[in-house]
Amino acid sequence: MKSVLRLVLIAVLMGVGAWMWTVLFPSPEKIIRRRLVELARIVSTSPGENDLARLADANNVASFFAASVELKVTLPILSQHSSLEREEISGMVYAGRSQVGRLRVTFPDINVKVAPDKQSAVADLTVEATYPGDRQLQEMKIFLRRVDGQWLITRAETVQVLS
Amino acid sequence: MARDQARQSSAGPKRRWLDIVVIGRHPKATLARVVVLIVACCVVFRFILLPIRVEGISMLPTYQDQSLNLVNRLAYLWHEPQRGDVVSIRLAGLHRMFLKRIIGLPGETVAFENGWVLINGEVLDEPYEKSACDWNCPPVKLGPDEYFAVGDNRTMAWTEHRMGKVDRTHIVGKAIL
Repeated sequence: MKSVLRLVLIAVLMGVGAWMWTVLFPSPEKIIRRRLVELARIVSTSPGENDLARLADANNVASFFAASVELKVTLPILSQHSSLEREEISGMVYAGRSQVGRLRVTFPDINVKVAPDKQSAVADLTVEATYPGDRQLQEMKIFLRRVDGQWLITRAETVQVLS
Repeated sequence: MARDQARQSSAGPKRRWLDIVVIGRHPKATLARVVVLIVACCVVFRFILLPIRVEGISMLPTYQDQSLNLVNRLAYLWHEPQRGDVVSIRLAGLHRMFLKRIIGLPGETVAFENGWVLINGEVLDEPYEKSACDWNCPPVKLGPDEYFAVGDNRTMAWTEHRMGKVDRTHIVGKAIL
């Protein structure tokens, strides 16, 4: 009985240890996933948001991107293939948030694949944007690179599911 | 003391009856059955029949907004999607999907002309289509693994309706209700 109890205790301790390890040293997939969820939260906007908060959030969004980002968007309402600077992204986000009164962005599905060298990754995700009167779903591919220990978005492109 | 004994004796048979109804005569067997049932439900509703909630009006009148349905993920294990099948189309995962009807098969050319669907230039008979529309769309040639999917609600504006070519790999299964 005593040895069984000891085994159970060891198993529990090992489980807690493994859990602590993942909390203290999260995998790149987990870090990227967390960053993308954070990005969705920041992009979302609610009515009555003041200009200062809007500007701060726009700057915050820009910090998720590399200095130069390749954007390849093909949507019925917008088609753009360009290279953007971080400041331009910040400006676009600020302008977009000013125009849309309420916007809720979520990524219900995020699949992350990290390269073997752990310096780059690709995230395939579903973007759900809900705004007054409508809701849009879009699959996107986000390319990330590890720069100074931070995962930054270097390229974003839409995936055509129904085209 | 005597009152307590009397209360216990009257509560005893009732409690026993309740235990038998809830837990059964053999609690271990009941527990095993519950575990098997939970595992079976998890397997069935995750890998075979995917429960979905229809949101939006693009499949009206066949499927109402907020209606519930099941997607058979094994439907296309032995054969490929057929014309007229209502299928769920995944994006990056299974948490958000499109529900559309297959009207064009691989290799075909699909077009809309004054609301009529033309497959390789021939008008498609659509018994599920209840309302007329005026959609026009230039011919779209489908690749070897591509299907053309569209919603049943053709009264919607052309620009507001998500439809078009879909790759076979994005088709998750067939709606069964």
